[in-house]
Amino acid sequence: MPQLIIDGRVLEVEPGKTIIEAAFENGITIPHFCWHPALSPDGNCRMCLVTVGAHKKDSDGALLYGDDGNPEVSWFPKKQIACATPVTDGMIVDSISKETVETQNAVMEFLLINHPLDCPICDEAGQCKLQEYALVHSKGKSRFDEEKVAKDKRVQLGPNIIFDGERCISCSRCIRFADEVAKQPVLTFVGRGDKVTITTFPDTTFDSPYSMNVIDICPVGALTSMDFRFKARVWEMSFTDSVCPGCARGCNISIGVMNNEVLRTEPVTNMHVNNYWMCDHGRLAVPTIVNNNRTSGPMIRRDGVLESVTWDEAIAATVERLKSFKPQEITILGSSLASNEDNYLLAKLAKEQLQTSNIDYIQHLSHDFGDDMLRVNETAPNAIGAHTAGIAVGTNGHGVAKLVDRIKHGDVKVLVVLEDSLDDFSDELAEASAGVEALIVLTSHTNLTAKQASILLPTTVFAETEGTFTNIHHRVQHFSPAVVTKDNERLMTMKQSRWDKFGAPNDRWSSGEKRDARPAWKIIQALCVGLGANYAFGSSGDVFNDMAHHLSGFKDMSYPSLKKHQGLILGKGNSPEKEEEVYQSHVMKPA
Amino acid sequence: MDPIQLLIICAQAGMLVNLMLIAAAYMVLAERKVAAWIQGRVGPNRVGPWGLFQSFADVFKLYLKEDVVPAAADYKFHALAPIISIAVAITIYAVIPWSGPLVTIDGHSYGLAMAPQMNVAILIILAMTSVGVYGVALAGWSSNNKYSLMGGLRSAAQMISYELSMGLAVIGVVLISGSLNLVEIINSQIANGWNIMYQPVAFLIFFVTSLAETNRAPFDLPEAEPELVGGYHTEYTGMKFGLLYLAEYASMLAAGAIMATLFLGGWDMIPFVDEAALLGLAPDSIPMVVLGHITFVSKALLMVFVFIWIRWSLPRFRYDQLMNLGWKVLLPLALANIAVTGICLLLFG
Amino acid sequence: MANVKTNTEAQRLTFWERIYLPEIARGMGLTFKQMLQPTFTRQYPEERWEPEGSYRGRPVLVLEDGKERCVACGLCSRVCPALAIEVRAAETTDDKERYPEKFEINMLRCIYCGFCEEVCPEEAIVMSKDYELVFGSQEEGILGKEKLLVPVAQLRDRLEFLRQWK
Repeated sequence: MPQLIIDGRVLEVEPGKTIIEAAFENGITIPHFCWHPALSPDGNCRMCLVTVGAHKKDSDGALLYGDDGNPEVSWFPKKQIACATPVTDGMIVDSISKETVETQNAVMEFLLINHPLDCPICDEAGQCKLQEYALVHSKGKSRFDEEKVAKDKRVQLGPNIIFDGERCISCSRCIRFADEVAKQPVLTFVGRGDKVTITTFPDTTFDSPYSMNVIDICPVGALTSMDFRFKARVWEMSFTDSVCPGCARGCNISIGVMNNEVLRTEPVTNMHVNNYWMCDHGRLAVPTIVNNNRTSGPMIRRDGVLESVTWDEAIAATVERLKSFKPQEITILGSSLASNEDNYLLAKLAKEQLQTSNIDYIQHLSHDFGDDMLRVNETAPNAIGAHTAGIAVGTNGHGVAKLVDRIKHGDVKVLVVLEDSLDDFSDELAEASAGVEALIVLTSHTNLTAKQASILLPTTVFAETEGTFTNIHHRVQHFSPAVVTKDNERLMTMKQSRWDKFGAPNDRWSSGEKRDARPAWKIIQALCVGLGANYAFGSSGDVFNDMAHHLSGFKDMSYPSLKKHQGLILGKGNSPEKEEEVYQSHVMKPA
Repeated sequence: MDPIQLLIICAQAGMLVNLMLIAAAYMVLAERKVAAWIQGRVGPNRVGPWGLFQSFADVFKLYLKEDVVPAAADYKFHALAPIISIAVAITIYAVIPWSGPLVTIDGHSYGLAMAPQMNVAILIILAMTSVGVYGVALAGWSSNNKYSLMGGLRSAAQMISYELSMGLAVIGVVLISGSLNLVEIINSQIANGWNIMYQPVAFLIFFVTSLAETNRAPFDLPEAEPELVGGYHTEYTGMKFGLLYLAEYASMLAAGAIMATLFLGGWDMIPFVDEAALLGLAPDSIPMVVLGHITFVSKALLMVFVFIWIRWSLPRFRYDQLMNLGWKVLLPLALANIAVTGICLLLFG
Repeated sequence: MANVKTNTEAQRLTFWERIYLPEIARGMGLTFKQMLQPTFTRQYPEERWEPEGSYRGRPVLVLEDGKERCVACGLCSRVCPALAIEVRAAETTDDKERYPEKFEINMLRCIYCGFCEEVCPEEAIVMSKDYELVFGSQEEGILGKEKLLVPVAQLRDRLEFLRQWK
């Protein structure tokens, strides 16, 4: 394997790697704009210029060393771009000497010549690669007195993307993404010199299901989101790591919240799940799921109308209904939309407290959602998890398949539904469910079943509580609460923006709506306690530890270890994947 | 005592109390005005001409204020403390010879003074100033507030310390005048010249101790704002606070009047001069008595002005400095003064 | 402490100073003289004070050609040490692309430090000469755009001052 020296460190790397890759794998970051580990090297931004040389030899071929013991180097007369220069054995690279940095500074000055002073109105400001490098590689003053080039601003490249030609530094990351990752090669450069700009080919639009990833990889604010545009500045939001509930892939995401409202979603790099990307569907769905159409406050149906009641009343009424029927008259539906913890406690309720074996969950399968990249046909995030946590038809029990018939025969008196809307299974079932004596619904959204409920117990969504999902590849992944409810009122672990930290009750900017919803496991625990159990789980973590103790799949897992390893495979709680350097495009490592 | 006499005395007392309270309220205005002038400001000038009705506005406002009593306070004593304070100050007024006799009804003569001829007047004054400690100490203790308590304790310690020197300073005057009766003392001053000429050291001691006894700057430690918030009256609101506040100014006026009586010749206008003969009037005639009264009040108010002036000129003492001054300077000085006075009286008297 | 040179009160003062009385008299003399000096008081509601351009009064938004200069970048909001400013942006068809849909300054939080003015890239928020700020309720103390927008003509002094000295 080739051996080379970068900035005095002797490294051994696989042949065929470029200098920047070799450096990145060993924790050395060389400044760059156009290079991205998932895209082919293009070498057009010139920011990664480094000095390259070879060890001097004397006429006998022996290596020469200076008086201080360091090798004598014959440097190449011109700087090389680290992103497109393959490593060779004996190569010596310097990326930090004064001369090299001055070269990089000069490149930076060129890039800034035509870059407009748009930062005040640019959505990228605050997480902009150009801004960050400007801090290190620029003097803060421009020597350029002439007029900057005017180009098209506010050009729509696709249904979700807006392009600003002036801000573009022509790194071509978006073009290469469209070609190589999204497989929709519709973007291209047009024009030459300072007139160069990016456009779609005639009669095409960049509407790939993954198109919005170009917003994340764009090192400047040239590509911004139609959806998020101007909603908030980056520093006004808090960002919480979470898992996308859009499909069973479970892409790792970061949720941006301001004033208790989810404003945007970004992918978080996880090389075992979603690499650097996520699909537009998930990105746009997350704010909708959390913000819209939510249930708030428990309700009981009296005289045909749902009335608001207190939590204690609702729990007591539910317990009373559960007690007044025989076990086999009760059917319990877990959910592939709910977390492992919720399903685990629901299974415990069914098996240990109610002794019913009629327990099942509704499958969410689509025929055309999946593709060969990230999206899968299983459109609920946690089917595997629900099953593993114990949501499975017991012996002599009946599942969801025969439910309609059994309701019609009057065999089902009580139906407990977690999260799902019954019309997701079939409209027949939704219709039939009106016939049961008690329809107990634990749901976060006002769906059809919630409207039919006898007792409605509002639950939190994934962004409001701590929990885990198990994705289609059996990977258990942890999500943290990002949004405040009346129940969680700022858990100690929650991320807070400056506004959250310092807001007082009379400040209008911190008075966002707090929903009266509780994590499903908490509600189910209250039901179990009402039925005589002595559970005392204080947090989701306690439930998960109980799961890890009792279920072999979750053995050796805990929230800290899930967070540390970005998720663990079921049954492999003690053998995580090898940790590698994670590439984060817009984060500059502290020098 | 016949009913008419009783009625007249009651009316006289009522008039005196009201006059003195109004005077005290106006002294508050005077304080604010003098403070303003010293600081280059105008002072209250919005209520009435030159702000003259400010005092009424202030008292009116205090009456309208909510009376807040801390939940942990001892309500009875909390209410009692301001009453003691104001009562003590007003009681002293009874023995002060504000003027000579003005009218004679049924063989009894009446002036502005209630009991000028009382033969233990000085003892009454000293006794009453001692009782004054109770007002402040009770206020501080019953509020159940650490700042109030500290203020009350400081006040008690300070008043007890300075009472000694005050009493001893008065003895010099008593030695010279040979009486505890205030009118007698004034008459001896008319005959022999003002006591301040014979007893300058006693006057100085009396003046300084009066400042301390009335809790005035530079000895206002009981209410030292920077350390104690408001001192003993931190937890008082409304007219209870108003009473404590008025009591301070009433005591000040009393102190001024006592100094005028003991040291500044009472109603004598010019020392060693027989003003009545100069003006061709009988010494007991009404115009002379009125002139004498005006003289007396002017002297008292002059002392009050000096009190106020001092407050806006001198910084507050530290507690240890206060105690040092009281015990190590004023007390020996007062004792020495008595000794010297006694020896002089023996030699030249 | 043995080798520390002490400079106690007693060593600093002369005998006459140490007995206090002459010094007290001197002090009293000073305050008495002061009593006879003319006063500096301005009879406020009748005699008003017109501040200079350097005065930092109520922060206001500059209104130019019927529109606010502000582009809702939120820097004032970020820099505000008292968190008095809330800005919500929206898109406009103008060249500046965005404008403040909502701009609120909570005058009960504002400390008149002028950081918002200093950080503003558009010279859109400036400190006015308005120093008479009285509110009947907490809600009234939160000023919205309609109260904040002031025509540029009324802010000439301040803008002049900023260009010259900042």
